[in-house]
Amino acid sequence: MAKTRNKNIQAKLVFLGDMGAGKTSLVSRFVRGQFSDFQESTIGAAFFTQVLSLNEATIKLDIWDTAGQERYHSLAPMYYRGAAAAVVVYDLTSSESFERAKKWVQELQRQGNPNLIKFLVANKVDLEEKRKVGNEEGELYVKENGLYFLETSAKTAHNVNELFYEIAKKLAKAAPSRPTGMRLHSRPQETGRRHSSPNLSNIRLFHLQVKWIKIKQRNGFSASETPTKHIA
Amino acid sequence: MSLDSISSSSSVDESTGLNRNSDLEPVDEQFGLLSLTEPFELEPNRGNGYGVANGSLNRERSNGEEEYERLTVQNREIFGDERPSSPSSSGYAGERGSSSASTASRIDGASEVDGDEIQEVRNDCSLEGFSDTQASAWVPGKRHVDEDDGSISWRKRKKHFFILSNSGKPIYSRYGDEHKLAGFSATLQAIISFVENGGDRVKLVKAGKHQVVFLVKGPIYLVCISCTEEPFESLKGQLELIYGQMILILTKSINRCFEKNPKFDMTPLLRGTDVVFSSLIHSFSWNPATFIHAYTCLPLAYATRQAAGAILQDVADSGVLFAILMCKHKVISLVGAQKASLHPDDMLLLSNFVMSSESFRTAESFSPICLPRYNPMAFLYAYVNFLDVDTYLILLTTRSDAFYHLKDCRIRIELVLSNSNVLSEVQRSMIDGGMHVEDLPLDPLPRSGSSPHLGHQRVPTDSPERLPTDSPKRLREPFIGIGGPAGLWHFIYRSIFLEQYVSSEFSPPLSSPQQQKRLYRAYQRLYASMHDKGIGPHKTQFRRDENYGSSHKDLQQGLSMGI
Repeated sequence: MAKTRNKNIQAKLVFLGDMGAGKTSLVSRFVRGQFSDFQESTIGAAFFTQVLSLNEATIKLDIWDTAGQERYHSLAPMYYRGAAAAVVVYDLTSSESFERAKKWVQELQRQGNPNLIKFLVANKVDLEEKRKVGNEEGELYVKENGLYFLETSAKTAHNVNELFYEIAKKLAKAAPSRPTGMRLHSRPQETGRRHSSPNLSNIRLFHLQVKWIKIKQRNGFSASETPTKHIA
Repeated sequence: MSLDSISSSSSVDESTGLNRNSDLEPVDEQFGLLSLTEPFELEPNRGNGYGVANGSLNRERSNGEEEYERLTVQNREIFGDERPSSPSSSGYAGERGSSSASTASRIDGASEVDGDEIQEVRNDCSLEGFSDTQASAWVPGKRHVDEDDGSISWRKRKKHFFILSNSGKPIYSRYGDEHKLAGFSATLQAIISFVENGGDRVKLVKAGKHQVVFLVKGPIYLVCISCTEEPFESLKGQLELIYGQMILILTKSINRCFEKNPKFDMTPLLRGTDVVFSSLIHSFSWNPATFIHAYTCLPLAYATRQAAGAILQDVADSGVLFAILMCKHKVISLVGAQKASLHPDDMLLLSNFVMSSESFRTAESFSPICLPRYNPMAFLYAYVNFLDVDTYLILLTTRSDAFYHLKDCRIRIELVLSNSNVLSEVQRSMIDGGMHVEDLPLDPLPRSGSSPHLGHQRVPTDSPERLPTDSPKRLREPFIGIGGPAGLWHFIYRSIFLEQYVSSEFSPPLSSPQQQKRLYRAYQRLYASMHDKGIGPHKTQFRRDENYGSSHKDLQQGLSMGI
């Protein structure tokens, strides 16, 4: 496949957010291309791997999809420790969920790796008529807090691949060929334009002509590919 | 030997905390203590693996098999003696149809099924294992959320379970929305604290056909309201298990939340776990493990189980606390680190937790869980992975950072299991569907008899073809509808030493869910009365169930408590 002499990056990506925000649905949409209207609550955390091939790098994502229930909150550090990127998801039809997301962001800023790539994701954009959290609110919050922002729908797959490719690109940029630590852009890029207008970064993304390999986590990463492990 | 058994069986009582209240539990009038019988002989061949999980839990258990064999040898002799006195089963099948047994309690039995969760399977008279049938038909999760204590339907439910805090806040209710039941919870709390204020404890309140069973666990109160005629001990044991399930999810350190704030609302902490509790409560009506405090194994050839045990042992040696390979609720193999032993109740709760949560089936999971009998205060970390639709691996560790190690372990285990055909053997055993009394040899003396299932077990793994005699259908035919040899319908055997049990699958004439549930309940009563602290424990008991069909069929139940 697209195995150029590019660097191989292995990176841990963690999904956080309130119960029912759609973390599992987003991951499942991306990893399996599936969506269920009746997604059961995650227990503890579920682990997925996915390999993305960009032009500049091959990125193996270790995706931790954590449970949103309160009882697992105190155990979250166990999952986000050592993560290179974090996605905090909220349900845009619930202000409570947005408040919870802010708490997660605060916790990550307090406890997490300062170089952590952080995305705030407003999920369920397909439920526009039930929206409680405006796009501007999200935009404003990420501007103040130095995150990236996307509005997605796991149900319609809107912006789901884009989310993961944005993360992959930032990971590729952040990881130099020599592992001397990661650099984070000082300012969020123009990732989160109104979803009604074409998203610049998305257009760029499509021109990258990225090729990506889907690897079912069970079939084994080792069976089909053994990239030289390079921890970002 | 018998001394051994008696002390062991009473220690079961202690360990399960069964605490008999002597003014309850009138031994069911329909049953009388008549004579002695012995448990049916189960396993003549050492190591063919019915029930002996290879890779014992701890070192002491490594003699388990010898012990097992000794037990069965004794049984065999006794069985030989007893057999002539076994009742004839002829004619039952004919009379079954004319079942005029509409006695009061029979109606009860049937209507209870109506009100209980197994009604979905009433039309399904499949001869497969009851549990399997149920598992596919049972609707998981909480039902009747719209009800509250004002609804007639809610009041008519046969069996309620409640968890509440000592300030009267609802935590869990089997039926209805917890928050709507705040008033009812407060009433329960008032009853408990009223009695406590008098320096006493309320264990049971009887109101007509209803029993209200109370269990106080620090700041947590558990209450069961039931008109299912189950013994007090069984209901109490069920409350203990529900409490254990809660501890498995949260650990006992939740008590601290109540110390800090007596009005603490625990419901958010249990969000999304309705399905775990409802599945546990459902298992109270089909899974013997819920009252005999033992686990059961998937029947497998000795070599197959050894192969599975060997790789699990390998993994356990690398710092895994417990490695458990299971197929549904049956154990394939189980290995613990040195000196670590896993209580059967913990296994029940753990497997219930894993099987009831859909989330484990879709991905590799790493989740904190607590084993209440191992250490109720601390979390362990469970790596859970389904190897196929029914077979799953649980690796438990004390280290929260061990995920990648456990993942590697799983890859190794899966490789070995598929290379040594263990997984396909497991699937075959599932299809074979356990033991059936019809397959037991007719003649009790020659142990080399042509029992298809036992014979099947002896097939060496290097010749995977079945024996030519292995044709269960044909051999079963003569017994259709009348049970196995000597009219035996069903058996359960529990080895105290191994903390394991084996039981036959339900066969005709035990084909309807109602009958199966009645038998299950009869075992429950038998177990409770055999472990009765007031007059027991008993080694043997024979009960006659006049009510079982109209033919005055004797229902023999030998629950082995030792020998």
